[in-house]
Amino acid sequence: MNSLKVEHAESQGNIVRDCPGTKDHICCGYKTIDLIEGCALSCSYCILKAYLNTPAITIHDDIPYITSQIDDMTGRETRHILRFGTGELSDSLALDRRYKLNRPLVEFFGERKNALLELKSKWAYIDHLIPHLNPYTIISFSIAPQRIIDEEEKRTSPLYKRLKTARKAQDAGCFVGLHFDPIIICPGFEKDYHYLIEDISRILDMDRIIWLSLGLLRFPPKLLGHYMEHNRRNLLYGEFIRGEDGKMRYIKQQRIKVYTMLYKMLKKKNKGLFIYFCMEREDVWRKVTGMTVKDDDALMTLFDERIKHLYGGKI
Amino acid sequence: MKTIPLNDIDLNDRRFCISYPLEDEALTGSIGEIGIVQPVLLLDASPLVTITGFRRITSAKKLGLANIPAIIKKVRADEALLLSIHDNLGRGLNMVEKAYALEKMAGAGFSRQKIFGIMALLSLNPHEKVLGSFVAIANEEKPLKDFIVRHGASMKNIEYLLKFDAQERKGIISLLSPLHITDSLLREILEMLILMKIRKGAVNLRGLHTSSDGRDLKARLKKKNYPILSSMEKKFLAVKQRCALPPHIDIKVDPFFEKEYIDILLKIKSENDVKAAMEKLKAILEDGYIRSILELTQG
Repeated sequence: MNSLKVEHAESQGNIVRDCPGTKDHICCGYKTIDLIEGCALSCSYCILKAYLNTPAITIHDDIPYITSQIDDMTGRETRHILRFGTGELSDSLALDRRYKLNRPLVEFFGERKNALLELKSKWAYIDHLIPHLNPYTIISFSIAPQRIIDEEEKRTSPLYKRLKTARKAQDAGCFVGLHFDPIIICPGFEKDYHYLIEDISRILDMDRIIWLSLGLLRFPPKLLGHYMEHNRRNLLYGEFIRGEDGKMRYIKQQRIKVYTMLYKMLKKKNKGLFIYFCMEREDVWRKVTGMTVKDDDALMTLFDERIKHLYGGKI
Repeated sequence: MKTIPLNDIDLNDRRFCISYPLEDEALTGSIGEIGIVQPVLLLDASPLVTITGFRRITSAKKLGLANIPAIIKKVRADEALLLSIHDNLGRGLNMVEKAYALEKMAGAGFSRQKIFGIMALLSLNPHEKVLGSFVAIANEEKPLKDFIVRHGASMKNIEYLLKFDAQERKGIISLLSPLHITDSLLREILEMLILMKIRKGAVNLRGLHTSSDGRDLKARLKKKNYPILSSMEKKFLAVKQRCALPPHIDIKVDPFFEKEYIDILLKIKSENDVKAAMEKLKAILEDGYIRSILELTQG
């Protein structure tokens, strides 16, 4: 990562934003903090290839500017407990050992106690943050079977390191989040996920997983040509259609089948686990979980209940 | 200008030839009728070497002409190649001819700046990767070149064709050659073949050679590449057929079975039409056909 071109940009405009979501799919109402734009990890499927024009990494490190925007957003919100994350346009932890951008945010959320900060990553290193961690920071890892990590996430930390680091965060008093995203349908993936879930239940305290998201691979159509050009067999193995939002997704029948399998496997390990879908349709929610989650607000309410259940009156 | 015997020209020396194909029936017919109007350009060497006019010379040879009008020029080889390229620019080169021009320039050691300058004149993106693709086309086998010229294939489709190995490409060209297909349809077909190759590791053309036209071929490929979607479409059409809907009633679903709801369309001219439509809908509802369709759209 030493050859990376990193630019420090003057902060202007909205660094803290609503997650853009996607048309006709249910969004969890996440708030994104674009602390860093661009990613050093270069996963083969990464949609940043379609959204960001430059290979350089841009850092917005005017923390007072950012925290004032966070204060503004939490001050305006009257109904829901807000969740903020820095992992939308970058990996939250990959550059943090060097640039130490998260520490002031971790401390800020620990002082405010009115919202949660999620650091979402595939880079398993949090030792520099441990002395500063507090329950208002969620350490999250995107999780995939090791075979997928080997082939599609080559510059990232191996699975066992991510899980061990998540455990370290739990032991430091944090809740952790897990994101099965993207789930890639390829030969033998069912078995891979079976073992993956076994590993999670063995290494982590399942009661201290605050949320777990499921998101099957989806991408803007222009990445289809990119995947074809680079012979990404795993990424192209399933049957893709163009969804109502214009993005390429696995055909709904396949999505329901895979989500149902994973949902059942996970619930079998821990009935109380809070599982949600990232950008899915209302009918898929209903078919897989039996729950009616009719819109973004309904999903945000489920998050509120989950957070209140775990934090009591401390938030 | 001089009149030169064909025997004085080395007809096998094609250093400066960028024309493809060399045979041109219309030109041969024209020369047969009124002779060669524009003299060819020859390099002053012994024997003489053609700089421009390869097609005229090919036609003349075919017609059995002994002499042709020519201008003899004393220039260096690199200048001769540029003369050949510039002389042909005006008529609009096909993709293979552009490939020959660039490949010969690269082979003759022209600087990148000079080559990129010619690429701009040929309306090509002056980029190393594009140059690489054109050099590859120039070195490809004849059936591919013929296919490119005959179908007026775009650069995107040529790049797709180059993604297959020689054996696969041979099969694909023999599959596509008899069909009349537009460039956009060709692109869809090639994308599906590439997808098949990436997924299965090989291209399976079994059952495709009997395709009646490009659309039929595309449909057959879709069935191979999208088995779930194809089977859902088949089930939907079968249920619709069993419904035996009259012309003024139609049931439509999302083409990818993504939307949960279905559309029922009625064309109504009178109250009686409404009554008849309601009765028909009631019947297909009771027969369970609506439920069968909803099962498909609900996954």
